[in-house]
Amino acid sequence: MLNKQSIRSLIIVIATMLYANGISHAEGLPPLTHKLTKINKSIMAPALRLKNMDDEIVDIKDLQGKVVVVNFWATWCPPCRREMGSLERLRLATKDKNVVILAVNIGEDIETVFPFMGTVDPSPSFTVLFDPDADSMKRWNVNGLPTTYIIKPDGTVAYSAVGGREFDHPDIQQKTINLSR
Amino acid sequence: MKKIIIAAAISFYSLSCFADIAQTPQVNPVTGAATWEINEHGVNLSLTQILPQQAQAFYVNRGFTLKQIESYTSSCVYMAVLRNDNAPGTIHFIRKNWSVLVDGKSHHLLSVDDWLQRLTETNIKKSALIAFRWAQFPSEQKYEPGGDWNQGMLSVGLPPGSVFNLIARWDIDGKPYETKLQEVYCAK
Repeated sequence: MLNKQSIRSLIIVIATMLYANGISHAEGLPPLTHKLTKINKSIMAPALRLKNMDDEIVDIKDLQGKVVVVNFWATWCPPCRREMGSLERLRLATKDKNVVILAVNIGEDIETVFPFMGTVDPSPSFTVLFDPDADSMKRWNVNGLPTTYIIKPDGTVAYSAVGGREFDHPDIQQKTINLSR
Repeated sequence: MKKIIIAAAISFYSLSCFADIAQTPQVNPVTGAATWEINEHGVNLSLTQILPQQAQAFYVNRGFTLKQIESYTSSCVYMAVLRNDNAPGTIHFIRKNWSVLVDGKSHHLLSVDDWLQRLTETNIKKSALIAFRWAQFPSEQKYEPGGDWNQGMLSVGLPPGSVFNLIARWDIDGKPYETKLQEVYCAK
């Protein structure tokens, strides 16, 4: 038979468990994960040749020898927005490790993207590319935003991730760094 | 204390299971939008109401006029989330295989291409159509276990105030699975 103190303790423990369960549903946001899917087949990364914020062409072919994180996103996409800060933290954690991040914006222009980047914390310094006609989506087999691929220095695809991720998670950071060795 | 924690864990687990079976929608206290959610076969599926005004605001900001997007925003739109938490393999779904049950009758959802076909007839800016296309819940997708997921807009094509069941279907290496969200109601 439980006494008053035990009942009180039981209520506190249940309440704590319910609150913890509710955290992931705070504001109705699905949780970001940190798992990457390893691509076991040897698949060359598709072509990617787009303009950056300075209107200069960036071609992924010129980045061979580096690890390239290619992230497809848009400002109106909630999980894309949520993971932007973690992409910058990944960049900061790997900046001396021969890793390049390319954030391929789908369907928007600099007037839309530039103000949004000003709201991201920490402020991103990775390369943003513009695909206004969304031509790269089919070529890269992207069926939803965000989708991310990590490319090895030899140009083959190492990992994929469908949906938002915590890119600053130690697992993702370590996998990215390991590719650069 | 140990007995209390065990009793609490049993209570919490029981409540969680009941919540999944009862599918009582959670209502956002700020917006009033309801969310239905189910976890089955290692897959999480949820639908959150997008109120017509919210949908209108989103698409007007993408470059639509209110008139151009009216047929879509008044068609009972949700934010759908599908996530492979720990299914026994890669899940593969094709959205056109999903169905909606209303008053005992089943009908399939309009595809993204169906909507694009309707919208291109009203002379809309290309950038707005691109945003529309990619804001939709995917037409077909694969999710690896451990957290691949997407969220996107899903119109069930029903008038405001309708009540329906959504049946979502996917396969793992050809083996079919399905789950059902019950008594989902459209915002008025």
